Amino acid sequence: MSDRWRRIGGPGSLLLVLVLGAALWIAPSLDGLTLGDAVTDGGGVDEALDDLEPSPIVLVGFDPDLGTYAEIRPTVRTLLADVLARDGRIAVVSLTPEGRALATAELARLARGEANAARLFDLGFIPGAEAALVDLATGLTTSGGAGGQALGRELAEDGMDAVDAIVVVGGNDLGPRSWVEQVAPRVGNVPILAVTPTILLPEVQPYVESGQIAALLGTVADGAAYRDGAELGNLDRLTEQTEVAVLPILIGLLVAAVAMGQALGARIVGAARSREREVS
Amino acid sequence: MRRPTFTALVVVIGVLLLADLLVVNTALAATAGVIVDAAILVAAGTALAAVASLALRRLADLWRRRGDPVGAVLVLAGIIAMLVAGLRPGSAGTSDPAVQWLVGALLVPIGASLFGLLFISTVSAARRSVQGGSREAVVLVAAATIAVLVLLPIGGAAAGWFGAARDWMVGGLIGSVFRGLLIGIALLAAVYAARVMLGIGSADE
Repeated sequence: MSDRWRRIGGPGSLLLVLVLGAALWIAPSLDGLTLGDAVTDGGGVDEALDDLEPSPIVLVGFDPDLGTYAEIRPTVRTLLADVLARDGRIAVVSLTPEGRALATAELARLARGEANAARLFDLGFIPGAEAALVDLATGLTTSGGAGGQALGRELAEDGMDAVDAIVVVGGNDLGPRSWVEQVAPRVGNVPILAVTPTILLPEVQPYVESGQIAALLGTVADGAAYRDGAELGNLDRLTEQTEVAVLPILIGLLVAAVAMGQALGARIVGAARSREREVS
Repeated sequence: MRRPTFTALVVVIGVLLLADLLVVNTALAATAGVIVDAAILVAAGTALAAVASLALRRLADLWRRRGDPVGAVLVLAGIIAMLVAGLRPGSAGTSDPAVQWLVGALLVPIGASLFGLLFISTVSAARRSVQGGSREAVVLVAAATIAVLVLLPIGGAAAGWFGAARDWMVGGLIGSVFRGLLIGIALLAAVYAARVMLGIGSADE
């Protein structure tokens, strides 16, 4: 390749990727493409929330990862709106700095969307990783927290006994597995629901099958199916107004499959030819 | 040789925390609570020390003109920007609008973009590993290709087949291997913890 082509190649490829990305982003959705498919039921979250007491207190362990949060963000926003739409109350806690940064951003977004402030309580950030989870399970405190006064009083008086369900927004080191290991044995029969990026599915799925996680939204398809079925009423304003574009996901997956398949094919053909030469 | 005070400390703390999990006793719970609080303080202190160490290291890099000066300046600028936004007089801390802007407008998009770039580097690495000729790489990339294909977001009858294949792969193949790994790691951790608690060291200690 000449120097000239090499000089043009880098920026040209970048420009091509940008133009292709923009074209895919604005392309209309196609009928044959769907994220929530026939075998996905929304991870059982709807049923798990239906089983809760009226006006439940839901403790949200908010520790997603900056890199993968984009994948689960629409689902997390719908889930928060869903809990509020069911007259639920939400207490948010983070155990990682990344989680805390994203949690404050989501709480600010809920405030901007005029969510009922009396139904929200920010428990803040607790350092200490697993030790913090143990501390939270054995002695939930609201000192330093902020939010609805009545909700704060109830949490301060009853601690974890006031909590009806736990929602773990995972992606970071302290995900659903840590909550199942450190919190579940200490709080009795409080159901744990989880929202995680697909990369955590192999780690979390065994806990779903053992019943230690009551419901899981662990794939893009799960999230899409759940969002489709959520009945939020006027709290729909708290969700993401732009639905995930399916076409870029399809193109990305196809590019990956073709790139890897081509390398595999070349390797198989090469092996077959060398064997043929050996035989002849 | 391992110091006996350290082993004794680990034994006492480990037994106390285990007993607190199994026995309902107020005094025991209070003692375990103090230990957990101490662990939290140590973790917080360690995190602060790590950040301070990173900043000092980058400052030293700049001072001695070694390493990557652009990276050092960016790291220091990021630390200073976040500290000023979160700790300046009148700031609301992590919920301050300036902190939220830094997180929402810079940190999250940059983090997501870096994660997105993994797509290119991972596919490229997969191709190179197959071209390298290793059998393990061929098996790995073949499995990855199949996994990618069953994740295709296609509707209709194919969705059912792909969904069933995906569930079987995650629940059966990947799940069983992952569960085996988790059980193995747990057993290893338990054995190591027991060895530490009983003061049993390896031959070279």
